[in-house]
Amino acid sequence: MTGPAISVENLRFSYGDLEAVKGIGFEVQPGEILGFLGPNGAGKSTTIKMLTGQLTPKSGVARVLGIDVSTDDPALQARIGVCFEEKNLYLNMSAKENLDFYASLFGIKDPDSIEVLRRVGLADRAKDRVKTFSKGMRQRMMISRAFINKPDVLFLDEPTDGLDPVTSASIRKTIREEAERGAAVLLTTHDMFEADELSDRVAFINEGRIVALDTAENLKLKYGTRSVKVRLRDGVGVREEVLPLDGDGSSAKLAELAASPDLMTIHTEEATLDQIFIQLTGRGLEG
Amino acid sequence: MSRPISRPAIVWALLKKELTAYSRDLVFLALTLVVLVAVPFIFHALPDSVDESITLAMYPSMAEMVGDARDALIKMGATEEQLAELDDIDLAAEEEGLALVEFESEEQLRSVIEGSLELWETEGGETVFRDKEAGDEKPKDAERIKPDIGIAFPDEFIAGVAAGKRDLTVTVYSQAGIGEEIQTAMQSFVREAAYQIAGRELPVGMPDEATIILGDDRVGDQVTMQERMRPMLLFMVLLMETFSMASLISTEVLQRTVTAILVTPARVSDFLAAKTIFGTVMSLSQALIILAFVGGLTATNWSLILTVLVMGAIMFTGIALFVGSAGKDFMGQLFYAMLFTVPLLIPAISVMFPGTAAPWVKVLPSYPIIKVLVDATVYGGTWADAWGMLAYAALWLVILYFAGLFALKRKVETL
Repeated sequence: MTGPAISVENLRFSYGDLEAVKGIGFEVQPGEILGFLGPNGAGKSTTIKMLTGQLTPKSGVARVLGIDVSTDDPALQARIGVCFEEKNLYLNMSAKENLDFYASLFGIKDPDSIEVLRRVGLADRAKDRVKTFSKGMRQRMMISRAFINKPDVLFLDEPTDGLDPVTSASIRKTIREEAERGAAVLLTTHDMFEADELSDRVAFINEGRIVALDTAENLKLKYGTRSVKVRLRDGVGVREEVLPLDGDGSSAKLAELAASPDLMTIHTEEATLDQIFIQLTGRGLEG
Repeated sequence: MSRPISRPAIVWALLKKELTAYSRDLVFLALTLVVLVAVPFIFHALPDSVDESITLAMYPSMAEMVGDARDALIKMGATEEQLAELDDIDLAAEEEGLALVEFESEEQLRSVIEGSLELWETEGGETVFRDKEAGDEKPKDAERIKPDIGIAFPDEFIAGVAAGKRDLTVTVYSQAGIGEEIQTAMQSFVREAAYQIAGRELPVGMPDEATIILGDDRVGDQVTMQERMRPMLLFMVLLMETFSMASLISTEVLQRTVTAILVTPARVSDFLAAKTIFGTVMSLSQALIILAFVGGLTATNWSLILTVLVMGAIMFTGIALFVGSAGKDFMGQLFYAMLFTVPLLIPAISVMFPGTAAPWVKVLPSYPIIKVLVDATVYGGTWADAWGMLAYAALWLVILYFAGLFALKRKVETL
């Protein structure tokens, strides 16, 4: 298809008197990963629920693959994959049975469930009931379920939350493969490292509004400070000097320290997404 | 690659999943097996016959009474033909289920009926009295006889009647615990017996039999405990299935697996349809299996029983939908399940006992279901008899099913 896979304009939603989403707008192109960052209650999940057809927007327009999400068209759900934060799997069914069941809801007659499980490293546990799986394995099952219909758009809610680094890296690799295949990915996460590494662009959402939307690099350049940290021997101890790169005389001072015989290390210092979020909203992402 | 999928195909996929989830849950399986095994077992352990006999105590003995009468009638100049009629008098022989015990004194009869004196019959047919308070030993190899009713005729009763005396009094003794119906029936019997002995109608009106016998006259074919329990057991199967179904729904809601279903082409209506079909089919199939074990289907009542069972299954599925969506955890679900099922059980218990159910019991949703089941399986009720109750059941079915549907739909949509 041509045009954005996800297109959102002035989208709003309220739970009674509480306005959870206050007129947000963004686009995600096919093959792009958009990191949706914000603390709990910021409006991330509500936005995903609207985009996946679970909630009907109060106002605004949201299109996924050109389909207006408020029309309740099953053609929308046929082409999306959703990975929820809660592990809502059928625990008494095997991994393969879980995937086969969801595939049947998409009308897939002969699903290649084993291949999908292989991608997340669970092919050898295909016949085991999910209740015997560890937390990490269940999370991989959640990811594989989201892939079962080869979706054009993926909604991934905290896909690596609470996982060990190896499993997280494996899942990130799989998500990247999906994007390379051409799927648009809307990813919510608390993990700044993950957002930075995986996302082509990042949207900061706070109190129902998008406060910043750009590539991680541009956000850092725009809102962060650039500096260099120099470590020097100081008698028996270590002395650190931080030099802002944009400040007057920084270059001369850096050259001087670099020439010092006590020089130990020089590191570039750049703002993290977390720091930028705090700078923009006055609150942390974990809130 | 996925392709557009039809709604029936989605419902079918959901049904297959329901069956897998049901068969994998040990609690549901255990409940089902317990019902399928225990219910027929309970049914066959129940008495399949009714002791219909009533023991009647009598004073004086029939032989003595007839002997006295014969002497008196001869003195009065009775013909041989009239005397021959005395030989035809036999109270016990003409009344089905009546056992006659004759006493030598009215006081003795009264004491036995009262219980202060025990009457025993030995294997040899000899009757023995035991005064327990006087310290009499219990007779060996003997069976106690407990007369329900005693009749004491006045001296020279037959002769007196024959002479046209009107002030003759027949005394009927009955135990305090004897039911009103039996007392009334026995008074009728005594009047009839007196009529037979006297040879003319006594100046006492006979009660209308319709007021004593409700429905079909089942003399010699009384309702056994098995028959009474059959509809109750079928009802219990439906009720047990409500627990399983509610639990299945509750698990789906609490574990949010339903949310994952609803981000596929499946819709809430598909989910509800699958739950309804699965719940109804499970209840109905178990009820039919039980019915096969305990009997009850006949060539005339099978369509009525199947119809009312289908209605009951849908009604209970509606309740399961409500209970499953209301409970926030296992205890909550159990609470709601009890809240609904205990009142629904009351009509099932009330119909086990003869008599008319209290008006408030008739208002309960399960009453028309169990009433039709009882009438059809026990009293040979037909479609013509059942229309009113079926309409009433249908009304409750619509209310309960749509209440359950609404509750679950709302729950699922707000997850």
